[in-house]
Amino acid sequence: MEDNKIIVQVDKTVIKIEGLSIKGLNLQEVERIISNKLNSLVRIIGVTGKTIEMDVYGIEEEDILKDERGIIKAVSLAEGITLSDLAQISRVKKIKSFDIDHIPEHNGGCRGERWL
Amino acid sequence: MLNNVVIIPTGDELNEGIVLDTDSPMIMQEIIRLDGRCNILRSQPVYDKEDKIIECIKSYAAGKADLIIIIGGSGGGHRYEKTLGKDYTHSALDLILKEKYSSVVYGKNGHMWSKLTCGKLGETLVINVPGPYDEACAVIKAFCRAYKADKDDLEGMNRSMMKALIGQYGNQEPDRIIQED
Repeated sequence: MEDNKIIVQVDKTVIKIEGLSIKGLNLQEVERIISNKLNSLVRIIGVTGKTIEMDVYGIEEEDILKDERGIIKAVSLAEGITLSDLAQISRVKKIKSFDIDHIPEHNGGCRGERWL
Repeated sequence: MLNNVVIIPTGDELNEGIVLDTDSPMIMQEIIRLDGRCNILRSQPVYDKEDKIIECIKSYAAGKADLIIIIGGSGGGHRYEKTLGKDYTHSALDLILKEKYSSVVYGKNGHMWSKLTCGKLGETLVINVPGPYDEACAVIKAFCRAYKADKDDLEGMNRSMMKALIGQYGNQEPDRIIQED
């Protein structure tokens, strides 16, 4: 059968916060807290015991960095997250867009890895 | 009629108790709404390893599951960024399902956000849903509606599920659709 490939055009910024202690986290709760704080859609995309990584839609990098402490404080309100003294936003990166008409074919994985 | 349904969450972070599995109870509720008579088993979360996921799916399919639902691991994940989770569900399904239909959604940076597959392993219907709760909820609801309409239409199920997924991002109509040969 044929596969269907769909491209969605949405601006997003990837944020990583480190210096946390995480156990028993409800991701919906964190998404709701950050979403209310930034007034934007948020999706958690990676969690370890010490870090949390998320996509934030429609917010610029500089706006994130301007309110770093506020965002970290907001994250700490979620049950299951404890802040350490070293808690910080270690990465803020807005995704780059590419010309969809010139994406090279790549078998067996994500197309994005070709550029990153 | 669904007699036996198995829900398989995937992710090291679930096994280690770092993150709560809120998807499985929600999916269980939707399946009960679809068919209140069925038995539903929530499997222990599977670690993000392709062979472990395949082994788990095959084991439940051999045990006469009518429907297997795998949660998470549907995106590019570690292939895109090494700090992200390892996403192997879609590649595991590609390896074991012969009769299947898939849809893939990409972001504007070319990153594969999610690949949804509906397929058959013997008599067992196998589908996957994304890990994020809202997306998983939208996709499983769409699956249930499509299954009720025609339980043998894999393509129709898959298209409904993908439409529900991209609807979560405010794109009711996708910007581009590419048919793969």
